[in-house]
Formats: sequence, C-alpha cells, structure tokens
Amino acid sequence: MSAEAKRAPGAETAGGRNILVVGVGGQGVIMISKVLALIGQRRGFEVKQSEVHGMAKRGGIVFSHVRFAPKVWSPTIAKGEADALIALEWAESLRWLDFLKPETGVFIADTRRIVPPFACLNRQQGAVTAYAKATPAEVVERISNAYALDASGIAAGLGDARAANTVLLGCYSVALDEPLEHWREALDLFVPKAARAINHAAFDAGRTWAEAARAGTQEVPTMPALFSARGPAVKSELEINAAWCKGCDICVKLCPERCLALDKKQIAVLTKPDACTGCRVCEWLCPDFAITVHQTAVGAA
Amino acid sequence: MTEPLAFDIREYLRLELMPHFMCPGCGHGIALRALLWAVHELGIAKDKLAVVSGIGCSGRVGAYIDANTYHTTHGRPLAFATGLALARPDLKVVVITGDGDCLAIGGNHLLHACRRNLDLTCLMFNNEVYGMTGGQVSPTTSATRLTTTTPTGNAEPVFDACRIAEAAGASFVGREVTRQVPALKNLIKSAMSHVGFSFVEVISDCTEIYGRKNDLGEAPEMILHQKADMRPEAFGNVADQPFRPNRLTTGILSQHDLPEYGETYRARAALLRSGEK
Ligand SMILES: Cc1ncc(C[n+]2csc(CCOP(=O)(O)OP(=O)(O)O)c2C)c(N)n1
Ligand code: SF4
Ligand code: SF4
Ligand code: SF4
Ligand SMILES: [Mg+2]
Repeated sequence: MSAEAKRAPGAETAGGRNILVVGVGGQGVIMISKVLALIGQRRGFEVKQSEVHGMAKRGGIVFSHVRFAPKVWSPTIAKGEADALIALEWAESLRWLDFLKPETGVFIADTRRIVPPFACLNRQQGAVTAYAKATPAEVVERISNAYALDASGIAAGLGDARAANTVLLGCYSVALDEPLEHWREALDLFVPKAARAINHAAFDAGRTWAEAARAGTQEVPTMPALFSARGPAVKSELEINAAWCKGCDICVKLCPERCLALDKKQIAVLTKPDACTGCRVCEWLCPDFAITVHQTAVGAA
Repeated sequence: MTEPLAFDIREYLRLELMPHFMCPGCGHGIALRALLWAVHELGIAKDKLAVVSGIGCSGRVGAYIDANTYHTTHGRPLAFATGLALARPDLKVVVITGDGDCLAIGGNHLLHACRRNLDLTCLMFNNEVYGMTGGQVSPTTSATRLTTTTPTGNAEPVFDACRIAEAAGASFVGREVTRQVPALKNLIKSAMSHVGFSFVEVISDCTEIYGRKNDLGEAPEMILHQKADMRPEAFGNVADQPFRPNRLTTGILSQHDLPEYGETYRARAALLRSGEK
C-alpha cells in the first residue's frame, strides 16, 4: 500500500496509535480495547475501533482494532501498520505478527496457550497437535520490542486468572505517556464494581513487570510441553469375542474413528488398531457383549 | 472413589448361557449392560441382588444375570417382586418388564406398585411392540406404525408410561435411551439408590421385527435415530427440567420424598407380633 511510503519510518502519526488486541472468546479483548479507545479520546484524538467477536463463544477468535490519531479514515489496521500487538493467547499472538510495524512495533503477549480441539491431529491420549510450535524465547529473539509474560499466572496469583487482560494492558501502559489515574478511571468504567480492586492490582502488576522488563531484569518465560500434565498415555486393546458377535454392525457404524469392520463371516474385526482411542463406545453399545476394551498405562508421566 | 471401578460385564453373566437368545442389534442387550454396570458401581453383591422379570424378550434378559433371578408370569413381575421385597428387605429388588408386560396385561399391577411406594426398582424396556410373540401392537406403539395386528398402521394413541407412573404415585420416575449407555447406567444407579418405588423407562429397539416391518433401517440406523423420531411427546411440562432440543425428555423426570411402604409394613407387623394391637 502507498500509505507505507507517506509515513516516516518508525514514527507514530503525531502521537496517534494503531493497536491490535487479539485473543479468544471470553478473555476480555473488547474490554481492554474500550479502555484504549477512551485513552485516545482523552488525548483529543479521533478514535475508531472495530472488532470481530462473532465466533467468540466457546473459545473462537476475537480481535479488535483500535486506532487513534488527529484524523482516522479506515477503522482497520493494515498489515505492517500496528504500533502495538496485544495478544491474550499465545497462538493468536503469532498469527497476527505480520500486522506489527517492522522494527518499531511493540509485541505484548500472554504465554498462556488455549489449544482448540481441532488442533489435535488425532484423538489419542497425548495426541500430537498442530498448535503453534514457536516458543516465547524464539519470538523475543526476533522482535526488538517483544514482551512475553505469563499474564494469566500473574493474574491468578492476585486472585483471578480472568484479569490477565488487565495485566497486559498495564504492561502496554508504559508505552503511552498517560497518568495512572486516567487508566484507572477508564478501567473503572468498563469493569464491574466488584472486580475493580483486582483489576487495579492486575494493571499495576503488568506495569511493574514491563518497567522491570525494560530495565532488562525480566526473564522470558518458558512454556511446558503440551499435554505433559495429562499423565501417562494409555494403550488400548480390543478383545472381540467372535463367538458372541452377531454382526449387527452397531460398533462398525458408531465407532467415532471408524476403525472396525465386519469380515466375510459378518464378525466384527478391528481394521485400524492405530486409530482406536479406547473410547469404549463399541463396548458400551454392543448388545451382545462381544467387545471388551482393555486399557493399560504405558510409560511414566 | 475417584476412578470409576473397572467393569467387565462377564463377571455378572451366566456364561454357560451365552451368547444370549436376542436378535442381532436388539436394544435389550444394551439395557442389560447398563443395569449390570450400575450394580457393579453400586457395589451390590450378587447374592444381594434379585432380578424379577415378566414374559417377553425383555423378561428373558433376566435369565443371563448371575444373581438371584426370578422369571415370573406375563404382566406380574411387580406382584411377585412386591412379595419378595416385603419378605426380604435385605435384597435389592429390580424388576425387568416390557411395554406389553408392564402396560397392557400388567397395567393394573404397575398402578398399585406406584401407589404403594415399596422400595424396588422397575425397569420397563420400551420397544413399542410385543417382540417375543412376533410383533403385535402394544400400548406404546407410535401412531401409524405397522405391526402384525395393525396392518394399515396403528390408529390408537399411546400411553406415556412415565406420566402414568408419576400420577399413580411413583416417587422416582426417569427415562433414558439405550444409545446413551453411561447416562442410562447413572439413571439406574440413581433409581436403585432412591428409597421407594422407582420407575425407569428404557427406550430400546426391536430391530428384527418392529424395525424391519416399519423400514426403520438396520440396528445402527435405529440406535442413531433414537432421539430424533418415533417416540411420543412426553413430559414436556415438568417444570424444573432443563430444555432438551429433542421431543423425548430423558433423565430423572421427577423425584419425591415419600414414606416407603416396606418400613411402615414392618412396623405394623412388629406391633401385631408384640401383642399390643
Ligand atoms: C398370560 C399370557 N398372555 C400372553 C402371553 C404371550 N406373550 C408372551 S410375551 C408377550 C408380549 C411381550 O411384549 P413386551 O412385554 O413388550 O416384551 P418384548 O418382547 O417386546 O420385550 C405376550 C403377549 C403369555 N406368555 N402369557
Ligand atoms: S474403543 Fe471401540 S469405538 Fe472407540 S475408537 Fe476403539 S474401536 Fe472405535
Ligand atoms: S456391536 Fe457387537 S454384535 Fe454387533 S457387530 Fe459389533 S461386536 Fe458384533
Ligand atoms: S424380537 Fe425384537 S425385542 Fe425380541 S429379541 Fe428380537 S429384536 Fe429384540
Ligand atoms: Mg415390547
């Protein structure tokens, strides 16, 4: 786009900002973008905010563009034009990376991972996932203004993990020269009365974290391997009693993984043992008790 | 108990009688699994369990259980079970009956068992037909269904067994489909743990006769359709039930704390014996 050419490299448009807030449903993306929009308004700028949160129920993607400047034409931020990317979920932070201004864009992300069910490549326990592989250390290494923090952990430590969004807001606040009271007033407008104290604490914690990070005294958090907390994997084996099977086809048609079939004699056989998750649906629904699922733990945690 | 106990149904079956007599895909086998799974999770010893059944494919199911079983006459399992439960309060008495057994020939016994509120559990396997005798119409056969006695389609309205049971005084009423085996097991557990008369309608499939005759598909299609069609509208007005998107209401439909008859009966008997009355 030609806008790229008109803009002095790295400079903010006369004190204005393009801020992209991303996350998944229920994390409070919209709440912090409203606070940011209000701060822009207080500074006497024209503000445009646009959001997509239609799929937000049950952990769908939510993003919000906040733009404030003397004059804002488009409500959305173009790729490479965001002064800041605030991400409430790790994979979302990576997905939106190319919206960040090269060189000067500020990256702030919670290292918490919310793995959507469809990221799982199969339904076995301890399944491999298609979830983003990049670690915070790798991202911080590549982006000059990157801050990756365990905001959810910090918020949980203060009493409510849901205030992670406000921790990130506090973290970003050091990039804007705005008195603390203004932030507090804006927050109070958008959080319920009962949640004010925790949100103030979360904001302060984020701000303190960012100041320390600027001074170079914060460590980049590491992320545990996905699913390591699920304990030992379970190996399932199917015992099919051919003498009891009457070939009704229920197990074949109702196995979620479609790993059973009827053989030439109309007896159920396991054709895809590797796809079997041990879910027991076949065992439960066999009217003739011909299937028994045996589960044994393999390896230690 | 955090981990559910491992359950192997074969420990509760009379293996020498297996495989059982039921047709391929018959829902009654699945219902039997749910019952034995519930017994296992409740930790009921086999010699403390008594299963009383009537006549029908449903009634035959009892024969495969390795416990005290009592195969009675058509329509009368509740009457036999009443005597047994009064005489042997140490036993967990479960009745297995069919829609024909329970609502047609045995309808009167059902009403009075509900009214008395004696501590026993009645499982009615509803497949909408007289399965054993070749597929005659039953009080739960849906409208327009073909049976050997309704060659042009059933023209009679259906009984809703759960409503009848509740109206007659049953202190626990529930319904579940065989498609939802863990839910059915849990419902039977709740029914058996309830003190008083508990009635559970188990929606089952007669694949070979009713399914064939009405072109309802093979066993897998029938079980997949359980929640979608061919069932009566039922219990829509139970106030505290969560909304369910299908026409068939399942789960615990009603539960009341009412005096249990066996206790009252034994207290009276003790009074008589003591000579004070
Ligand atoms: C007194 C008497 N009348 C009639 C019969 C014939 N009979 C046997 S089973 C049955 C109906 C069974 O239907 P249902 O109770 O629905 O059981 P299902 O076979 O469908 O499980 C009838 C009428 C009988 N055995 N005894
Ligand atoms: S346990 Fe049975 S139903 Fe489940 S995946 Fe394995 S074969 Fe299929
Ligand atoms: S459900 Fe049971 S009887 Fe039916 S085909 Fe499968 S193993 Fe055989
Ligand atoms: S006739 Fe119907 S109810 Fe009886 S065993 Fe066969 S499928 Fe089951
Ligand atoms: Mg029947």
